[in-house]
Amino acid sequence: MSPVLEVRDLRVRFGAMAAVRGIDLAIERGQTHCLVGESGCGKSVSALAVMRLLPRGAKLEAGAIRFADEDIARLPERAMRRLRGDRMAMIFQEPMTSLNPAYTIGSQMTEVLRTHRGMGRAAAVERAEAMLARVGVSAPGMRLGQYPHQLSGGLRQRVMIATALLCEPDLLVADEPTTALDVTVQVGILKLLADLKRDLGLAMLLITHDLGVVARIADVVSVMYAGEIVEHAPAGQLFAEPLHPYTRGLLRAIPVPGKVKRGEKLATIPGIVPRTEAGFRGCAFRDRCGFATYECAEPIAARVEGAHRWRCRLEAGWREAA
Amino acid sequence: MSVAIEASGVSAVFDQRVGTFGVHRRVVAVDDVSLTVKEGIALGIVGESGCGKSTFARLLLGLLAPSGGDVRVGGHELQAMDRRARARLIQPVFQDPASSLNPRRRVGEIVALPLRAAGVARGERRERALLMLSRVGLAPEMAGRYPGQLSGGQRQRVAIARALVLEPRILICDEPTSALDVSVQAQILNLLAELRASFNLTLVMISHNLAVVEHVADEVAIMYLGRVVERGEAGSVFAAPRHPYTKALLASVLTPEPGLGLPELPLGDAVPDPANIPAGCRFHPRCPAAIARCATEAPARGDVECHLVQPVPT
Ligand SMILES: Nc1ncnc2c1ncn2[C@@H]1O[C@H](COP(=O)(O)OP(=O)(O)OP(=O)(O)O)[C@@H](O)[C@H]1O
Ligand SMILES: Nc1ncnc2c1ncn2[C@@H]1O[C@H](COP(=O)(O)OP(=O)(O)OP(=O)(O)O)[C@@H](O)[C@H]1O
Ligand SMILES: [Mg+2]
Ligand SMILES: [Mg+2]
Repeated sequence: MSPVLEVRDLRVRFGAMAAVRGIDLAIERGQTHCLVGESGCGKSVSALAVMRLLPRGAKLEAGAIRFADEDIARLPERAMRRLRGDRMAMIFQEPMTSLNPAYTIGSQMTEVLRTHRGMGRAAAVERAEAMLARVGVSAPGMRLGQYPHQLSGGLRQRVMIATALLCEPDLLVADEPTTALDVTVQVGILKLLADLKRDLGLAMLLITHDLGVVARIADVVSVMYAGEIVEHAPAGQLFAEPLHPYTRGLLRAIPVPGKVKRGEKLATIPGIVPRTEAGFRGCAFRDRCGFATYECAEPIAARVEGAHRWRCRLEAGWREAA
Repeated sequence: MSVAIEASGVSAVFDQRVGTFGVHRRVVAVDDVSLTVKEGIALGIVGESGCGKSTFARLLLGLLAPSGGDVRVGGHELQAMDRRARARLIQPVFQDPASSLNPRRRVGEIVALPLRAAGVARGERRERALLMLSRVGLAPEMAGRYPGQLSGGQRQRVAIARALVLEPRILICDEPTSALDVSVQAQILNLLAELRASFNLTLVMISHNLAVVEHVADEVAIMYLGRVVERGEAGSVFAAPRHPYTKALLASVLTPEPGLGLPELPLGDAVPDPANIPAGCRFHPRCPAAIARCATEAPARGDVECHLVQPVPT
């Protein structure tokens, strides 16, 4: 079976700055693919490129974006609009930027159903209310009459999730969907997404910084650094045996509940991400890597071992040394 | 130790008209909360989404006038202080950086603005702003960008740099690291620890990330539907939670252990609504341990507000 979404060699630039530098992604029906990585490494931009929602100033270069066996990388905006919110939906990182402050929750949600499903007002209101209840929003009927600024951060995020799920999409791109939520609500939402994945065969691209969430729900994980995917593996394998030094550093920096000591310094990765322009060569992590050699400035070929792929020229020995 | 923040019986009530018929709705977001934060202490506030944490933060910052009770900061009534003095005393980092940064100003100006308001000379402003940006891990070239040209986590770091640039006595952080990856998060938390050690910063940190709170906080307050239902020394609350809601929170934490799946939800499905606070104990409709009395009688005020918990003799 071909994947619901297949991205090949995706590249996005902002002027001279290369934000996404040739990434490949494939997500199958019923699969949860987590995308993690350094703040600013290009996760959201990649997701926006898939949805064809890149901001002004961004240039989508090369690459194919196959969604349901059609290359949508160059699909006209009108056709994209039919897909978005219907067969592919996105939950944004900052709910306030995608909820319109001038309209009530109800009018924003029913608009989706009226455009894509041609529903009448009463039916749309009923469905919107049911979806709000399903994601755990209190007094859903009343919420439809409220404006975004009258909701707490967590409620807004739940409204966003409910809106994205209204048309039961094939692909859900979720950018930090539960970071604004408390842990009990988070578990509820993740369970809901897991149910939808099972019942509808939803394919999910989930961007998150929360490696606890990744560990618990991801089927496969891609780790991004400076616009590239530096490591990709089934979740269990990635946590058990990270092969890229960046992944290793990331896993070490997690404050583990119940084990963190107050006052003790947390492990960090010293240094900052380099600015990557088009033509940047070699491993982008080399300046921060304790094991880099001059060879790391040369182009790095991807290495493959079963389902595990990574971009690092170091031999296994560095891991024992680390 | 002197007291940095003292909230006595503060409440925040919002009156709203909702929908076409203008149905009246009274939201009690913060309900008669008393809380003291001593100087140099880090207080962590944790709780249900929508339980009033951000509203409480706005009360502490003097950005919202309490509907009842009062807040004193550094011994002063906040509402009566002039803006400059207040800015040097207490600074916020807001939850949603996208809406708290002026989109038409460059990052460098945003971080330098509090310095200008405080009367710092132009040359020094620039220098201090750049230094602060580097301390939160942002390259100098970011100073020339607009907030819209940054990633979510980069914006969050700008907000943190702006709050720290004046070296305030008290910092109120609302989810300061939720938009950051764990290595940048660790960097920010280490920075906060450094600042606390070097100038006795008092910190109030609101976070859904219990591991972060456990790492940072000396004391914690657990909020549920507008009230602090459990409070205490952080280590003991995390090691031995007493309120059923605190227990549920800790049971829902997702540790980075693949293969474990999602934990069973220990709470009932009833969704809390601050416009319709249940009679008796406000947590009883969702409480796995509720007894008959919980539905009718509010628990006594105290460190743990629950009928099932015996007060610790003092
Ligand atoms: N409109 C824009 N103009 C210029 N640069 C931009 C713009 N939007 C994003 N960028 C840059 O592109 C890079 C990738 O941004 P992106 O938002 O994808 O990061 P991210 O991985 O989602 O980070 P975070 O985890 O912090 O959300 C960042 O360095 C960011 O500064
Ligand atoms: N300006 C307002 N008008 C009406 N209701 C409001 C207003 N501000 C907040 N509320 C309500 O008060 C309650 C508490 O909101 P608050 O933002 O303080 O929650 P929170 O604990 O910070 O939640 P989260 O974890 O989701 O950020 C919510 O029910 C919210 O809808
Ligand atoms: Mg992002
Ligand atoms: Mg909040």
